[in-house]
Amino acid sequence: MQFKNAHLSEQELVLAADGELTGRRKAEVNAHLETCWQCRERMQTLQSAIADFVRARNRDFNEHLPPAAGPRALLRARLAELSATPRTWPGFALPVTRIALPGAAFLVVLVAILAIFQSTVNAEGPKPRLAITPGETRPITLNEVCLNSSAQVISPDIPESVRRQVFAAYGIKSPQSGQFEVDYLITPDLGGTESIRNLWPQPYSARWNARVKDQLEQRLHTLVCGGKLDLATAQHDIAVDWIAAYKRYVGENSAR
Amino acid sequence: MAFDASDSMTAFPIAEADAANRPSRLEDEIVALFDRLRAPVLRYLLSFGLAVPDAEEVLQDVFLSLFRHLREGKSRTNLQGWVFRVAHNCALKCRLRARRDAERFSHLPDVSDVTADRGPGPEESMAARQRQQRLLAVVRALPEQERLCLSLRAEGLRYREIAEVLGISLGSVAASLEKSLSRLVRSEQV
Repeated sequence: MQFKNAHLSEQELVLAADGELTGRRKAEVNAHLETCWQCRERMQTLQSAIADFVRARNRDFNEHLPPAAGPRALLRARLAELSATPRTWPGFALPVTRIALPGAAFLVVLVAILAIFQSTVNAEGPKPRLAITPGETRPITLNEVCLNSSAQVISPDIPESVRRQVFAAYGIKSPQSGQFEVDYLITPDLGGTESIRNLWPQPYSARWNARVKDQLEQRLHTLVCGGKLDLATAQHDIAVDWIAAYKRYVGENSAR
Repeated sequence: MAFDASDSMTAFPIAEADAANRPSRLEDEIVALFDRLRAPVLRYLLSFGLAVPDAEEVLQDVFLSLFRHLREGKSRTNLQGWVFRVAHNCALKCRLRARRDAERFSHLPDVSDVTADRGPGPEESMAARQRQQRLLAVVRALPEQERLCLSLRAEGLRYREIAEVLGISLGSVAASLEKSLSRLVRSEQV
C-alpha cells in the first residue's frame, strides 16, 4: 500500500484472504479493512466466490469418486508385493538386497545383474527417476533463452558435493560413479536449474547417452528460438521423456 | 477445504523399529496416508483432464513411489507437498501417453453431463445449482496454470507449496490466483 487511505488492490485482497501477507504489510491491510467499508465489501464478495467455488467443486468431484475400498485394497496388495521383493531402483541403478549372501555367490549374482542391467539400459535407454528428478526450471524469458545460440551457452559445472548427492539419491556407489555423467535434465539454456531436482546420472556407455541428449537440446533451442515450439512445451517434453522427445524432434533413427 | 493443510504429516510417525518389522508398519502408514490424501489428490488429478480410472492409476503409482521413498529412509518433510508434486509430474506423463492414444484421451469432466442425472436436493435451489455450474464452467475455461493453481489452493496448499508443485515462482502463483478469483467474482456478479 503506497498511501494510507488508498483502496486495496485485487492482489492484496487475495493475499489477505489467503493469509499470505506478512509483517507490516499485513498489519496495514488489516487496519485498512477495519476502516474501509468498500474494501470490506470487496473482501466479502471474494470470500463468497471462494466458498461457492469450493462447494461446487467438492459436490461435482466427490459424487464421481468411486468408493475408496477397491483402490485401497489394490494398493495394499501392491505394497505387499513390493515389500516381498528386493529393493531395486527402477531404470538403471543396481538392485539392493537386505539379505547377506555368501561372498562368491553374491559376486556371481552381481555380475549377472550388471549384465542384465546393461542390456536393459541399451534396449530402452536410460531415463531419470521422476520422483528424484522431475526437472526444474527458473523464470526465464524467450529473449534470454535466445540471446545466444545453444552452442555458445556453457552449462555451469556441477560441484562435486552436488554430484555426490545425485549419485546417493540414485543409489550409485562410488565405484560405479565413474560410469556416469551427472547431467541436467532440462538444460540451463532452456531454463533448467542447477537443483538436484534437475540433475540425474546418465550412463556414458548407453546408446542414448549425454552426447545424444545434447543433440536434442540444440534442436529444441533452435525450434524454440525459431518460433516453432514454445519454451514451456520444450521444457516439459525433455523433462517427461527425453528419448521420446528426441525421436519426435530429432528423428527416430538419428541416435543409432 | 478438503483438509487442513497445516496438519502435519508426522501424524503418522514410524517408530525406530527393527528392519524386519519396518515394511509392514510402513505399509500401514502408506495406506493411512492414502486414505487421507486420496480425495484431494484425485480432485487435483481430475483437473488435468484425466479420466477417473487413469487418475486412480496415477494415484497408485504415487503411493508406491512414496513407499519406496520412505523405505529408502528419505526425507519425511512435508509429505503432502511431496505427494502433490509427484502426482503432478505423473499426471503430465499420463496425459502425454493418453494424448498419443486418442481413444483414451478424455477432456475435463463435463459438468452439464455429470449433473444431468441428479435432481436438485430439497434444500438446494435451482438458482444455486446454476450459479455453481457457471462457476465450474469459468474454471474449466481458465488457462491450465491458473486452473491448477486454483485446484491446489482449494486443496489447502500454501503459495510456497503450490510454487514447488508447479515449478513456478511465488509471484506467479499470486498473480495466477488473483486472475482466476477475479473471474470467479465477476461470474457471480452477472
